[in-house]
Amino acid sequence: MTITPTMLGQVVVSGVLAGSLYAMVALGLALIFGVMRVINIAHGPLLMLGAYTTFFLWAGLGLNPFLTVPLAMIVLFVIGALLQRTLVFRVVDAPELSSLLLTFGISIAIVNLAQLAFTSDLRAVEYITGAWVLGGLAFSKSRVIAFLFAAGVTALAFLVLQRTRLGKAIRATSQSREVAMVCGIDVGRIHLLTFGLASALAAAGGSLLAVIVAIQPEMGQVWTFKSFLVIVLGGAGNYPGALLGGLLLGLVEQLAALVLTTQLSEVVAYVLLVAVLLVRPTGLLGGRQT
Amino acid sequence: MTRKLLPALVVAAVALALYPAYGTGYGIRAMLQIFMWVALAGSWNLISGLTGYVSFGHVAFFGTGAYTGAILIATHGWAWPPAALAGGVAAGLLALVIGWPCLRLKGPYFAIAMLGLNEVLRALVSYFEGLTGGGNGLSLPTLYASVQIYYAMGALAAAVVAATSLIVTSRFGLRLMTIREDEVAAEAMGIDTFRHKLLAFLLSAIGPGIAGALTARDQGYIEPLSVFPLAITVTMIVMALFGGKGTVWGPVLGAVVLFVAQEIVWARYPYVHPLLFGAIIVAVVLAMPRGVLGLLQVMYRLPRTI
Repeated sequence: MTITPTMLGQVVVSGVLAGSLYAMVALGLALIFGVMRVINIAHGPLLMLGAYTTFFLWAGLGLNPFLTVPLAMIVLFVIGALLQRTLVFRVVDAPELSSLLLTFGISIAIVNLAQLAFTSDLRAVEYITGAWVLGGLAFSKSRVIAFLFAAGVTALAFLVLQRTRLGKAIRATSQSREVAMVCGIDVGRIHLLTFGLASALAAAGGSLLAVIVAIQPEMGQVWTFKSFLVIVLGGAGNYPGALLGGLLLGLVEQLAALVLTTQLSEVVAYVLLVAVLLVRPTGLLGGRQT
Repeated sequence: MTRKLLPALVVAAVALALYPAYGTGYGIRAMLQIFMWVALAGSWNLISGLTGYVSFGHVAFFGTGAYTGAILIATHGWAWPPAALAGGVAAGLLALVIGWPCLRLKGPYFAIAMLGLNEVLRALVSYFEGLTGGGNGLSLPTLYASVQIYYAMGALAAAVVAATSLIVTSRFGLRLMTIREDEVAAEAMGIDTFRHKLLAFLLSAIGPGIAGALTARDQGYIEPLSVFPLAITVTMIVMALFGGKGTVWGPVLGAVVLFVAQEIVWARYPYVHPLLFGAIIVAVVLAMPRGVLGLLQVMYRLPRTI
C-alpha cells in the first residue's frame, strides 16, 4: 500500500478533529490532578453519564443534541461536586493509594448503576451523518461540529482559568495549597468547584461523543486511560500541555490506523505511554506550569 | 506468631489434602475457586499492599498465564504442570516489561499503565488469531484432572501465603513497607526503590500467571473475554482490601469470606455484584483502611506479621 499526500492530509484532519475531544476531556483530569493530586479513575464513567444525559434529552424531549451539551455539563457539574463533597474530599490528603482505590470503587459503582438503569444496549443519537468533502478530504459533519463545540468549551475553560478570580484561585491552589490558604482562598471550595468543572468537561466530551459513536455503560473506562495518557504527553499539571497532548494522541491514533490497523489503536496508545514514560516522563512541555 | 499458628495450619492442610476423597464435585470445585482467589488476592497484596503501588490490571497476568499455558498444551502438546509453570514465567516477563518503565517513576503512572494493560492484551490476543484463535477462543484437549488441579492450585495458594509471610518478616519486606510509607525517606536511607518495587512486582505476577494456566487447563476452553475481564481484577482488589492489605492472612480471610458470601447470598443478585464491590472498596478505604484483619490486630493487639 502506498501512502499518498491525500491520505496523510486525511490523517491530519481526522486526528485534529478527534484530538480536540481528547484535549477537552483530559483538561478536566489535569485540573483535578493539578489542584488535588488525585487521579480520578471515575473521569471516564462521568463522561459516559454525560453521553446518556444527551441521549435521554434527545430521545425523550426531542432536544437538539448539540444544545444539550450545556445541560449535560450542568448535570455533571452537580454530580461531580456532590462526589467531591461526600467522598473524594476525605482522601485529598491521604496517600495516593487511597484516592486511586476510592475513585476506582466509585467508577465501578457508576458503571454498574448505569447498566442497571439504562441496560447495556447500544444506543445512538442519530442526528447528523455524512461528511463534507473539501479538496479530496472528508470532514465528518458530526465530528466537525463536535470539534467546534470542544474548541469553544476548551477556550472558555482557559478563559476562566486565566482571566477570572476563580481561575486565579484554582491555579494558585494547584501551585501551592498552603500559600493559597494563607492568601485567604477557601481551598475546600476550590476543590469542590474544580471537581465540578472537571466533571462538566468530561460531560461535554460524552455529550459530543453521543452524536458520533454508539453509547453504552462501559464506553467511559478507556477515556480515563486516554485522558491520563494525554496529560502525561503534555506534562502532568501543565494545563496548556493537555491541549498539545490531546492533538498528538488524535494524530498518532489516526496515523496508526492508516499504516497498521484500527484494531491495534489501543496498543499504539499504550506503547506511546510507555515510550514517553521511558524517554521523557515530565511530558513534552515539561513540569508544572499553570 | 506464624509459628504458634503452625499446628492449626498443619491440621488445615491435612484436612484440605484429604478433602477430595470425601467431598462432592461441587465442594471440590468451590475449594479450587477459593484457592485461586487466595493466590490472586495474595499476589496483588505483594505489590499493592506492601509497596502501596496500586495495580489496576493484575488480571493481565492471569490472562497471559492462561494463554501461554493453553497454547503450550493445545498446540505444542505440553503436559499441564510444566505449561502452568511456563504461564508463571510469561507473566513474570510481562511484569518486567511493564515495570521497567513505569516503576522507575513515583506517583500514579504505574496505576494508570496497569489500568490500560488489560485492554491492550485483549486487543493483541484478538489480533494474533493464528496463535491464539482470536475471538473464537482456544480449546484444550479433554482431560479429567480436576483433583490434580485442586492440589496444584492449593499448593499455589499455600506458596503465595508462605512467600508473603517470609517477605513480611524479612528485611526485603521492611524495605518494601518503607517505600509504602515514605518513598523519599526510603531512598534517603539508601534503598534502591526501583529494584525493590520491580522485584515485588515480578513476584506478584508469577502467582496469577500460574493460576491462569491452571484455570485454562481446568476449564478446557478460553477466549479473550473469559480470561481478561476487569471483574477479576476488581474481585482480587476487593478481597485483599476487605481482609486487610499489607498483611499475610488478610487476603486469605478476604478471599474466603467474600467467596462464601458470593456463593451463598449474592449468587441470587448477579447484576449488582460490581455495585456491591465498588461500595465495599469505597467503604473500606474510608472507614477501615487496614481491613478486617487490621482491625482485629488493633483490637486484640495481634502482631503486625500475622
